[in-house]
Amino acid sequence: MQHGKYRFITGFLALPLGLYLLFVVWPFVQSIYYSFTDWTGLSPEFGMIGAGNYTRMLDDPVFWKSLQHSLVLVLVLPLVTLGLALFFAFMINVGGRRRNAVVAGVRGSAFYKIAYFFPQVLSIAIVALLFQFAFNPDDGMINATLEAVGLGSIQPDWLGDPDLALIVVMMVLVWSTVGFFVVLFSAGMASIPREIYEAALLDGATRFTTFFRVTLPLLWDTVQSGWVYMGILALGAESFAVVQIMTVGPGGPDYSTTVLPLYVYQAAFRDGQAAYATTIGVALLVVTLAFAAIVMRLGRRERLEF
Amino acid sequence: MKTTETPPPAVRQGGDRGPDQAAHAGAGRSGRQPGGEGAALNVFSHGVLVIWAIMVVLPLLWAVMTSFKTDDAILSSPWSLPDGLHLENWGRAWNQAHMSDYFLNTIIVVGGSLVGTLVLGSMAAYVLARFEFPGNRFVYYLFLGGNSFPIMLALVPLFYVMSNLSLLNTLHGLILVYIAYSLPFTVFFLTAFFRTLPSSVAEAALIDGASHSRTFFQVMLPMARPGLISVGIFNFLGQWNQYMLPTVLNTEPETKVLSQGLVELATSQGYKGDWSGLFAGLVMAMLPVLGAYIVFQRQVVSGLTAGALK
Amino acid sequence: MGTTSAQPTPGASGNGLGRRDLIKRSAAIGLVTVPGVGFLSSCASGTGGDTDKVDKGKVTKDNPLGVNESAALEVVIFDGGFGQQYAVDAEKKYNEKYPKAPKVKHSATQKIQTTLQPKFNGGTPPDLIDNSGAEQMDMGVLVGKKQLADLTPLMDAPSLDDPAKKVRDTLRPGVLEMGQFDGDPVWIMYYAYTVYGVWYSKTALEKLDSAYPETWDDMLALCAKAKKQGIAGWTYPGKYPYYLPFSLYPFIGKIGGREVLDAIDNLEPNAWKHPAVKAAFEAYYELFRKGYVLKGTPGMTHIQAQTAWTKGKALFIPNGSWVENEAAPTTPKDFEMAVAAPSSLDSSDKLPFGTIWASGGEPFIVPAKAKNPEGGMEQLRIMLSEASSRNFTEQVKSLTAFNGGTDGLTLSSALQAGVDALDKAGENVVNPRLQDWYVKLQKEQIGVAGLGEMMAGRATPAETIAKIQGYADAAAKDPNIKHYKHQ
Repeated sequence: MQHGKYRFITGFLALPLGLYLLFVVWPFVQSIYYSFTDWTGLSPEFGMIGAGNYTRMLDDPVFWKSLQHSLVLVLVLPLVTLGLALFFAFMINVGGRRRNAVVAGVRGSAFYKIAYFFPQVLSIAIVALLFQFAFNPDDGMINATLEAVGLGSIQPDWLGDPDLALIVVMMVLVWSTVGFFVVLFSAGMASIPREIYEAALLDGATRFTTFFRVTLPLLWDTVQSGWVYMGILALGAESFAVVQIMTVGPGGPDYSTTVLPLYVYQAAFRDGQAAYATTIGVALLVVTLAFAAIVMRLGRRERLEF
Repeated sequence: MKTTETPPPAVRQGGDRGPDQAAHAGAGRSGRQPGGEGAALNVFSHGVLVIWAIMVVLPLLWAVMTSFKTDDAILSSPWSLPDGLHLENWGRAWNQAHMSDYFLNTIIVVGGSLVGTLVLGSMAAYVLARFEFPGNRFVYYLFLGGNSFPIMLALVPLFYVMSNLSLLNTLHGLILVYIAYSLPFTVFFLTAFFRTLPSSVAEAALIDGASHSRTFFQVMLPMARPGLISVGIFNFLGQWNQYMLPTVLNTEPETKVLSQGLVELATSQGYKGDWSGLFAGLVMAMLPVLGAYIVFQRQVVSGLTAGALK
Repeated sequence: MGTTSAQPTPGASGNGLGRRDLIKRSAAIGLVTVPGVGFLSSCASGTGGDTDKVDKGKVTKDNPLGVNESAALEVVIFDGGFGQQYAVDAEKKYNEKYPKAPKVKHSATQKIQTTLQPKFNGGTPPDLIDNSGAEQMDMGVLVGKKQLADLTPLMDAPSLDDPAKKVRDTLRPGVLEMGQFDGDPVWIMYYAYTVYGVWYSKTALEKLDSAYPETWDDMLALCAKAKKQGIAGWTYPGKYPYYLPFSLYPFIGKIGGREVLDAIDNLEPNAWKHPAVKAAFEAYYELFRKGYVLKGTPGMTHIQAQTAWTKGKALFIPNGSWVENEAAPTTPKDFEMAVAAPSSLDSSDKLPFGTIWASGGEPFIVPAKAKNPEGGMEQLRIMLSEASSRNFTEQVKSLTAFNGGTDGLTLSSALQAGVDALDKAGENVVNPRLQDWYVKLQKEQIGVAGLGEMMAGRATPAETIAKIQGYADAAAKDPNIKHYKHQ
């Protein structure tokens, strides 16, 4: 039995893991190796400089600012996004009350299911371009709306205001990612057997208690992965694209929105310092893995089965 | 059965239906909540649902509308209706993004990598979720780590791996790379998903003498359908929109994919101001994705029914 | 075997690596380097190099560069505001001249570095590159790492139009020097020629019964007049405040003389503390303080600010001559776009009114490891002929590095204004180099963190000068940046 188990494990892991090691891990490892060199990215010549890039990074105020903003994103975005997504998914899938004891979503849930997915069909670059129009202080939709409802006196510069810029970035990221998690949690909720809900309903549970006593615990593994994944998005390509396209500079005003992946990009593709970029990339990797480990640890619970 | 906490008929909100009330009045027994919980929650919940729907639908409708406007109108009066249907935007985008040339390549690459990703990803995820073995956590975090390192930094080494394997500028090479870069996400999510599935069914199958692989393909995969479909949708989106990898690994016109054409459109607005072409192109590229989602969405619903039967 | 595996042997590791580090890292590095064989090796440079070059052709009167007449030529063009048609047209001429050569391999991209980075690392770059756009490859690094071919043979070759004239003598003033970094070799050929300055609409000024204000007092008076009618005096791309220098730097140069700008470029200590800098900053800050800057400007992109400007919401915008093409979709027919030099601050200005910033754009390079470098240079020689230059100007409404080529063309209002501004400037053309030499300092630090904050009213001129001087000092000391000086 044991023998068969290991043969099965090896057989199932070999191909995916091999492909992954060859095309993903190996280039990454080589790239991390460059962080100990002075590679420019534009010529094949480079020399070893040991930990020079790392000491430089620790003395670099822009690195610390980027780290700080990335940490804000990784703390705030998952909370807001997952909170909204759980609420929407619950309402759409089990929040409704119908006759005949069928557990179903609220009225219009079929529409919501399609509509909430809309932001997903746009690549994040396009989303950022779209919101650039909306947040235009001159004739953007948002300031126009403020004016229309009589708040013409408060028309902020939005992305031009260092106190608001990062908030705008986060709003755009929430807007573009909530739909993803609604679909994900909907799938999870779909796999929870109906009888459990029906039993809860018979016991007189409110929607509120149903959610916290039934849905959330049974969905916990998915929520936890969603949390980690949202954190990865907040630290990774998604936040990069939004900051890069939308913000002053990008990264401004006055470094108020710079994030780690943007700094990686600028070092590699603007400054011709690919080795230093890789060093920041390694810092990003460490932050991400630390975040994932913390969430996994905090979220450890008895595994529920049904 | 019908709930008991729902508030008195007078304050019920539109989302629920009138006829419920009779059944529900009879059902009221224990657990009656302090009045207003349902009402306030209803108003609030439905309000939020509607507002969010508006927030996500409007920008999309705006993008569709904008694709019919002139550049001047887009920039000068972005919120007004088009003065006519400027279909030439669509024609220009179609040609500039090489939609017709790249469409078949895109279908082959995304189709091939989607199937490969789902098969390989679910195999790895299943093993990681369901079997204890030395190195399990290590492999899991190895996959997780792949999500967290910027791809742009790996492009140069990857280029040489591909070059040495003679995979540059080939569709099958692109498929392999897409699969490899989709695996971290896929494995990560499916692992969580396989964990939530009841183990009793699989155990029963094993006791009945089914092999591990048989159990996987005939019992576990069908049960994981809702998860597979959602992961499939997101991989489809990711691979459809992926442009960083093909920009470097796939530079010959014969093998280019749609996203490369679209990115050219998107970046050129900054230099050429062809906003109308950009919006036409993005609406064009959006439609197949939206269509695919609606088709898959039905599958999620039927997956739900399948789940109810088990 | 690639570079990755060749490097970490102690002998090759260079002196940057401390012994202790070497020991500490050896385990990790060994892990990386041992599998550096066969298909896993990261880099092909070991085998590349000069052996791949095509044989040189015979030097004749018609072929002064010794182009191999049957060799292939590969060109990569940045597909930006100028498009790529002008290059395609010139490539046709190459094929006409060398019928034995295969059709020129042409590609265009907006992602220059992403596309070309692996080719430079692998020693297989194309023969001619238009290294431009948001993702251009850092020139200082390319020069420093000896990745570029010296274009001196091209400069000394006879021009296509007049065999008695060398190519270097057909260029606009300053263009050739821009391509030099330290010493004589010419690494870059800037093909386009950009006029920077204060852009405005003649029509808009006429509506206010005004012409372009030649003094700063007139400028303020005009802004006050416009404000009464609800029109802002100035706007600028608030999201990219590094447009402000396009009119601010020549303003500084005009007030304090060329030396001030040179000192700034040379990163000399206290260069920014010169009184001319302070005077210019305070003048611009006053535009903000008096409310002459269009509301919302700090949150606008270049396109948004330009659109507000073409719609008549603001009179002036600092910009470069590409704005005509870029703003074309929203420019009204009777707009009469024009460019002018910065106004005079007062009578003690060192340089006369008309002092303007003009310099090369669209940097073309021939890689040192190109297979057919002579072909790349020959292609540039064709592009620098009068016919190709005219073709460029006609297509994209911009001047080229070729001095002339506009006679007989009907120029648009903006292009004509640029030509006139150059005539008026005469000798007084300044060419600040920060944006080529120190991109990060110019855009992110001086532009966004310095000028952007000041013009949004969040920092005073004095604070801004101190901040910028700090950045400049740090850049001067940074060992990771290659430093340059005016010759």
